[in-house]
Amino acid sequence: MQKDYYRIIIFSGLTLLLNLLIIRFSFNFPKEQAVSLMGFGTLGKLSMFTGRSIRILGCIGLIGSIIPFVKKFNRYVNLSFFTTAFTTVSAIILWAAVGSLFDIVGLLDLSLRLSTPIVLGAMAGMLCERTGVINIAIEGMMLTSACIGFTASLYLNNIWIGLFCAILSGGIIALLHAFLSITMITDQIVSGTVINILAVGLTGFIRRSFLLKARLTRTAILPIIEVPLLSKIPILGIIIFTNQPIVFLMMGLVVFISIMLFKTRWGLRTRSIGEHPEAADTVGINVFKMRYLNVILGGSIAGLAGAWFSLETTGSFDDMMTNGKGFIALAAMIFGKWHPVGAFTGGLIFGFFDALQIIFQIKNIPIPPQFLWMLPYVITMIVLAGVIGKSIPPAAIGVPYRKQ
Amino acid sequence: MKRFIIIIIVAVVVIAVVLFFVLRPKKVVEVVVVPEIKVGLVTDVGKVDDKTFNQFAHEGMMRAAEEFGFEAKYIETLQPTDYDKNIQTFAEEGFDMIVTVGFMITDATYKMAGQYPDIKFAGVDQFYAEPLDNTMGLLFAEDQSGFVAGALAAMMSETGVIGIVCGMEIPPVIKFRKGYENGARYIDPGLKVLGVYIDSFVAPDRGKAAAEAMIADGADVIFGAGGPTGSGGIVAAMEKGVYGIGVDQDEYYTTMGGGPAPNLLTSAMKRVDNAVYSAIKAFAEDTFKGGHYMNNASNEGIGYAPFHDAADRVSKDVKARLDETLEKLADGSLETGVKL
Repeated sequence: MQKDYYRIIIFSGLTLLLNLLIIRFSFNFPKEQAVSLMGFGTLGKLSMFTGRSIRILGCIGLIGSIIPFVKKFNRYVNLSFFTTAFTTVSAIILWAAVGSLFDIVGLLDLSLRLSTPIVLGAMAGMLCERTGVINIAIEGMMLTSACIGFTASLYLNNIWIGLFCAILSGGIIALLHAFLSITMITDQIVSGTVINILAVGLTGFIRRSFLLKARLTRTAILPIIEVPLLSKIPILGIIIFTNQPIVFLMMGLVVFISIMLFKTRWGLRTRSIGEHPEAADTVGINVFKMRYLNVILGGSIAGLAGAWFSLETTGSFDDMMTNGKGFIALAAMIFGKWHPVGAFTGGLIFGFFDALQIIFQIKNIPIPPQFLWMLPYVITMIVLAGVIGKSIPPAAIGVPYRKQ
Repeated sequence: MKRFIIIIIVAVVVIAVVLFFVLRPKKVVEVVVVPEIKVGLVTDVGKVDDKTFNQFAHEGMMRAAEEFGFEAKYIETLQPTDYDKNIQTFAEEGFDMIVTVGFMITDATYKMAGQYPDIKFAGVDQFYAEPLDNTMGLLFAEDQSGFVAGALAAMMSETGVIGIVCGMEIPPVIKFRKGYENGARYIDPGLKVLGVYIDSFVAPDRGKAAAEAMIADGADVIFGAGGPTGSGGIVAAMEKGVYGIGVDQDEYYTTMGGGPAPNLLTSAMKRVDNAVYSAIKAFAEDTFKGGHYMNNASNEGIGYAPFHDAADRVSKDVKARLDETLEKLADGSLETGVKL
């Protein structure tokens, strides 16, 4: 109890201070001179007095930070975190929107798109780790499937077959990981590292030997799909219902896996194996089979994430084009506490700050892009430190199962 | 025991596959057989026909070799750990000049140059803190190349907004960007130039996202300066139907796969072929000096690629003004104003 109280003082105290700074910052904008223009797609534009709006935000943040100090509401420490995160980001955006139109819908649309591979990767990692197999090979799986998917699409001249091949190759690489870490009882970290290095060599080899010699170097990308009727909804129509297939698949998978994992027998078995494989085995669950199944499923999802790079975005393949997103996905997974919806939130945060960083550079806002790019990692560390609810991995993670 | 046997089998299969590819006959091509003077080229990881600097360096070497009657050979580097070994191979076979390609191979080149003081070394994109008497770093005036691209973009833009998608914020890229901005303002001082640095050269997805955000803000020419990241920006431009400008080499052949690409205006080129040619020429004419050699507009070290499919959309006036700009940069009457 005592320890909890310190946590409130330190954490909510910090957010309190931050909100006071925001309010102080708002006085930099005299009422008549600074007007923020926000664009909301077809709904039109909203112009606000910058100073006053930021001040209101700061006050909301202050209230959110003070509430946890009241004895009765001590357990709402998270509230101060979430309100302050919201007010800080909103205040920065309001500042950025001074004088020139800031397209909120465009920003959110870009965030969702950039977060797609991270969310998929996080869910891939989650499926593996929920059964107790650490998977740091998401990066390698993504890279391989980006390459194989593109190669198939190029040579077979059909992007949908390419997409299928990408998913399949993700599954095959995952099978290798499963074989090494479940059957051969290799250290799972080592197996994952080996696969990451293998992927770099394999894709580089395929690119040099086949792709550079190919007559074409580019293919078409997956088409943009507009969901009938729903895409006409203002704001949400553009952000959610007008997208490319893999973004839709990603959102569908978040819902689907959430239901599967927590409402079905398969989900219960998956989770039990990750927590206590011996107990699961005792009641007749085939631990090896379930682990194989989940690792391969996870790999297929990572394959989908790989296809996002080559087939959905650029229509080409470059060496190392996944660019560390597989590792960011792991951070998003931890941030999301091994839950699909959490992974989605975590991925969105990374995507959001990447999009924000790009748009701030275009708008010439004097905030270093590296600072924004850093923020999601800071948040992940705060989560890891257990400030906003501890992120606890499945108990049997990383421990190979040997049948007694 | 069973596991041990499986591991052995897997290992044997892997080794067999690796040996199969490694032991294939090496493609070392002899072109001119006048055994007096020998010039060797060590590529960066890649091949001499991979449409990157490796290929252009090779073309430049072959041109020089033919002209001066040298024997020319090359080694294709398979992985970064082979740099030293490949340079040494040439050195021990008594080559007189060795050209190495790429920023990555700088340290290996410098080290080997120290070991073999009698051999001349030229390194593409290489800067040595303390150049030796036998090393020549071939550097490029990226600011001039970007300046020309910016001038063209400014002349082609109808909205008055143009954009540049950069890779990492390192000196050559900064020079490209500042040159581009200054070139655009040289044509139209009121022009708005949007720019983004992406903290990686191989993030085409993020480059594309940045370009799309710029296009949404009204940009109608996108200059992709920074490897695949920049190419992602060009791809976005092609999809949205605005103009794109490539970088380093003619991206009509690389990114666009030889077209059709009616919206790819040109590429701001670093003429690695000319640079390598000049270096070998200097060696042939005995004017080789240790230090750095700046390739710029005056020695055809930079330039712009043909318009290809966009030729009919670039008017004669625009082309004339572009060539005039390039000439002025060459004779020194025009400065890019880029200082680092």
